[in-house]
Parts: sequence; structure tokens; C-alpha cells
Amino acid sequence: MASVTYNNVVKNFGDVSVIKNIDFTVDDKEFLVLVGPSGCGKTTALRMLAGLEEITSGEIKIGDRIVNDVAPKDRDIAMVFQSYALYPHMTVFDNMAFGLKLRKTPKSEINRRVNEAAEILDIKHLLDRKPRQLSGGQRQRVAVGRAIVREPKVFLFDEPLSNLDAKLRVQMRAEISKLHQRLQTTFIYVTHDQTEAMTMASRIAVINKGLLQQLDTPQVLYDRPANLFVAGFIGSPSMNFFPGKIDVDGGKVTVDMDSFKVQIPDALAAPYKNMNGKKIVFGIRPENIHDPEFAPPNIHGEKVSAKVDVTELMGNETFLYLITGANTFIARVDPRSQKRVGHDVQVIFDMDKFHIFDTETEEAIR
Amino acid sequence: MAAAQSSFSKTKRQNAVLPYLYLLPAFLIMGVITFYPLIYQVIISFTNFETQHLLLGMRSPDLRFIGIKNYIDIFTAALPVENFNFFRVLEFNFWWALSNVILHVPAGVMIATLLNTDGLWLKRIYRAAYVLPVVVPPLVVATVWTNIFDERYGAMNQLLTTLSGTFLGNFDPIYIRWFEDVKPPIPGFLPGAPLTLAYYAMMIANFWLGWPFMSVVATGALQSIPKDLYEAASIDGATGGQQFWNITVPLLRPAMIPAAVYGFTLSFNLFNFVFFMTGGGPARSTELLVTFAYNLVRNLRWYGVAAAFAVIIFAVALVVFLITNRITRATQNYMEA
Repeated sequence: MASVTYNNVVKNFGDVSVIKNIDFTVDDKEFLVLVGPSGCGKTTALRMLAGLEEITSGEIKIGDRIVNDVAPKDRDIAMVFQSYALYPHMTVFDNMAFGLKLRKTPKSEINRRVNEAAEILDIKHLLDRKPRQLSGGQRQRVAVGRAIVREPKVFLFDEPLSNLDAKLRVQMRAEISKLHQRLQTTFIYVTHDQTEAMTMASRIAVINKGLLQQLDTPQVLYDRPANLFVAGFIGSPSMNFFPGKIDVDGGKVTVDMDSFKVQIPDALAAPYKNMNGKKIVFGIRPENIHDPEFAPPNIHGEKVSAKVDVTELMGNETFLYLITGANTFIARVDPRSQKRVGHDVQVIFDMDKFHIFDTETEEAIR
Repeated sequence: MAAAQSSFSKTKRQNAVLPYLYLLPAFLIMGVITFYPLIYQVIISFTNFETQHLLLGMRSPDLRFIGIKNYIDIFTAALPVENFNFFRVLEFNFWWALSNVILHVPAGVMIATLLNTDGLWLKRIYRAAYVLPVVVPPLVVATVWTNIFDERYGAMNQLLTTLSGTFLGNFDPIYIRWFEDVKPPIPGFLPGAPLTLAYYAMMIANFWLGWPFMSVVATGALQSIPKDLYEAASIDGATGGQQFWNITVPLLRPAMIPAAVYGFTLSFNLFNFVFFMTGGGPARSTELLVTFAYNLVRNLRWYGVAAAFAVIIFAVALVVFLITNRITRATQNYMEA
């Protein structure tokens, strides 16, 4: 059990700066997910913690111990690799027992721990097999099992589900969450998949271009993204963005998007009152755009005219791909909606759920 | 309809014949240069075929079938040849091939592993350099090494003299008679087949020639071992040495065993090297089966005996091949799903 601290950590590969500066703490027993697009530095951040990459500057602590110069084997961590990295010439049992054998753990203890982990992961019947005789999902379990038997202070996961098919991924997601509850240990999990991050994490760290963008609980990240990047990255389909301009006229604040205008409800208008003429990016999530027929009552709705370009019927909901002026956007509407391709329609923007970002700094303004 | 049917079955018949037609030229050539001599050799191995029969061959009036006498003579060392004992030659031949492989494979693996180190400078140059021995013609290699082991002017004896002078203070020139001394330096090392200095000289020369190939194979195999296995092992707590024994060695095995088998067969029949360096001497102590068979024909002109000998070599080689083939097939590729 231990917390993990990144103190102004920087990583350069030659002239390329991969981690510009990250600085955060993972609490003890927390399930922290590092999420970001490919090449954002999240895997490098994890590998530095594992001791597989050197740190250019700054320090990493596990518990109270600075581990910058500690060998991977002495950091008391276990890691699950994207490729699983199972030893192909060893049986499942030996794969799981390898680390314990190297640490001269007594045989009876090795047996106990491997069997216990195999029980948890439901792979007891596979202990005599070699990795090549296993399916992807089973290999994944063995890789997790190898980490469990070590009883480490911190578990590291490097995109462990990305090689599994969609159905198995959903299943393993739930199992890893369960495992975290059961083991009550610090988990640090790297993924590029925001759904994995949202469903598993107790907190999410969004990383882009080597910088931490926001670190908070999934719900806060979703409801109050700190900047344009987080807003666009979290949520699927992602948030709609419209370049616009703030108009303050008397007490009323409106946002002018050229092809349409929306009025900010008075209760939320305060931060924008002295920004007349400021260029901003207006953001609204697809589920906050409604078909007027099925719009919930008592919302501050703003009507927007658009043309339906594509519809995607999902069964439980319908995605409308809409065009207005130079902007395209997505609405996630009630499945009973009769809007069809080519229709000129009106949709309703729920103005209690909008986001406004500074065009230059890309930070949220609220 | 009927016409279509018949043309279809005609095409089918043609298709059935076609492969044999394609194979025919190869079969004809193989028949002339391989099967005919092979069968001819088996036949004359049961005769007293000698030089005088060369002209008329099987039609020679005094060519006699003598049953398996040639074979018995070979196995019982009844041939009027000095220092000849079939089983000693056979034993030496096996040991020669085996001891070469035992040295070449580990050396090749070690050097390949060292050269595979991350961040090593001029890696490609080293790798290119160690392929050089493989591409030098064997005759040149043998000549160079024969000169190196020259008793009076060879580099080896000069080196030993220098070493002895530097470390033991004895500057007397050392004249080791590498290719003439019949007294084995380590008596009883290989019971039944004394290993003379010539054997050690050849081992040194063949080591120079042999390890680079093993290194090339090992380098290729090393590069196919996923790096994350080493990372996983380092997190699991394995030191460099433990990673080498637990990851590198077992994962090189599928590549190195066929290479070792190949090296064994190559050394087993390493005719030109032995022939040019020692000629099988001294006192036939470094004779291989193939060089001895050659001597029977080239110097003694006993074609019948040589044919019998060749048949025996063929049988030995076949057994070696079958065993090694089995071993090779038994090696699986771990990565295969």
C-alpha cells in the first residue's frame, strides 16, 4: 500500500521532449487512470515509475521513498504489459511463480499464492499450459495473475485491454475494477480509451503533449472540463464545438455563432458580462441537444435550425449529424425522433449545460 | 454437352500428367549424376575393383565378386594400411564434430549477446567483421592456418615464445611441432582415439572459422526476442545473468539447435580443411571418414574398398541425419500459437 508522487517530472529522449512537466500525487489505494491520445507521454510516465525509463529531471516517490535511482525489482511494483510479455517457454504456473522464485520465496508459499491468484482469475485449469495454448483473454488473466502473486505496493497497467476484442474488453474492465476493490492496492492504469478511463477510475489524469491537463473524478471531468482538450477528449460522441463571439446587450449575454445565436440564461451569465466582443469556443455535448418533440420540460432551451446530414439509429438513442452554416454537430436524441436525412429541422440546445472556452488559451471560462 | 464433357476430362487427364513431365528433366539429371553412381558404387563395393578395371568397368574379365570381404576388411582393420582402425576413425570423427559444436555455439551466442547490448558503438562494423571468415575460401583459410602453426616460422610458436618470455622470463624459442608430434598432450582425453596436437591446432583454426556463423544465427534470433520480456523479468526481479539464463538461452534454443545440427554435419564432413591442413596426419590421428575414403581412391586406388567405405559413410551419415532431423523437428517455436 503506498501513494505515488510525481514531482516536476521531465523526460526527454534526445532533443524530443516527451514529458514536459508532470506534477501530481496518486493517493494510497486509489485507481488512477492516465488517459490521453497516442504519443502524449502517458506510457512514458508509467515506465518511469516502473524504472524502465530514466527520469530526465524531477523525482518520483513511492510512499515516502524517492525511487529515481532504485532498480525496477526493488520498487515493489508489478506491471501488466500491453503485449502481456508472458515468458513463452514457461507454463502459466511458472510465469506466475517466476518473480517469487527469483526472490527465493519458499515453495509452499509460492504454491499458495499462485493457486490463490489463479482462483481469483479463474485460470486454475490453465496452470500447466504454455502461453501459446491460451486465448488472448486467458493470456491477459495470466499477466494480471503474475502481478497479483507478487503482492506489490503498486500495480501498473499499460493499456492491458487494447489487444482484446470489444466484448472481452468490457468484461475484463469489470474484472479489473473488482480486483481493485478486492486487493485494496494502488492501481495506476494507462489507456488511450476514454471509456475505460471513465468506467474504471476513481480519478482520471488527462495528459496531452507531455502535460497534465486535468486530474479529477470522472464525473467532474465530464461535467466541468478544464479546457478544450479535456472537453473534446472525454465523452463519446465528443462535445460539439462552435467558434463564436460574446455579445453583451444590456443585461443579456448571447453567443453569436454566425449562423445562429443562443442566449445564456441569466443565472449563468455573470462570468461573461464584461466580455463583449470576445472570441470564444462554445461547447455543448450531443445529449444536451434535443428533438423539440421530446425535449425535457423546464430547461432553458434555445432553438437552432439545421439540416440533417446523417442519422445513426442505435436502438436506445439516435444520433443526428446536423449542419448549420459552416458548422457540423451531433445531437443524441430520443429514438422516437422522426428527423430524417435531408430534413430542415429545429433542435433545442439545453442552455443549462453549455461550456465556453477562451479561443486563445483554450481554458474554460466559468 | 457430350463434347464439353470429353474436353473437360481430357483437360483433367492432361493436368494429371503435367507435373510428371515437369519433374522429368530433374529426374533424368539426378539419375545420371546421383542415382547411377550411387548404385554403381554399391555394386563395386562387393568386388575387387582396382585401377586395371577402370577401362572396361563391370565387363573386365578378372573383376570378381568377393561378397562382403571389403566390409569385413574395413571393420577388422585387415587392410594393409598403416595406423588404420575404422572404429578409431569413426570415434575421432564424431568427437571432432561434437567438440567443434560444443565450442562454437556457446561462443557464438555469447558474442552475439554482447554485441546486442543497447547503445554499443559501431555494432554494425563488428557484425560485418565477424562474417568475414565465412566468406574466405577454405583453401586460403587452411593455408593461412598451416603457416600460423609452422614449427619454425609460424605465428603461434612465436606468440607462445613471447608469452613465455613476458610471463615466465624464459626467452628460449618454443618449437612445438603442431602437425608432426604424435604424442597426445593430454593422454587418455578421448579413450581409444588419441588427440594429437594437430587436433588442437585444427580446433583452433576451425573455431576461428566456425563461431561467426553461430553468431550470425544467434544475432538474428536475439533480435526476435521481444524487449518487453526483459522488462517484465527486470520487474520480476531478475538480474542480468538471470535474464540471460531464464529468457535469452531458452528463447535462443529453437534457433540454435538447428544451427548446431548444421554445424555438426558440416564439421563431420569437413574434408577440405582436414585435407589441406594435416592431410589426416600425423599417423592418421586426425583422419576423418571422408578424408580416409579419399586416400583409398587417390593414393591406394582400391576402388572396391573405397566404395565399401563410402557405403559405410553413407550409412553413418544417414543415421546422423535421422537423429539430428528428429532433434530439429522436436524443437518447437515458442511463439507459434
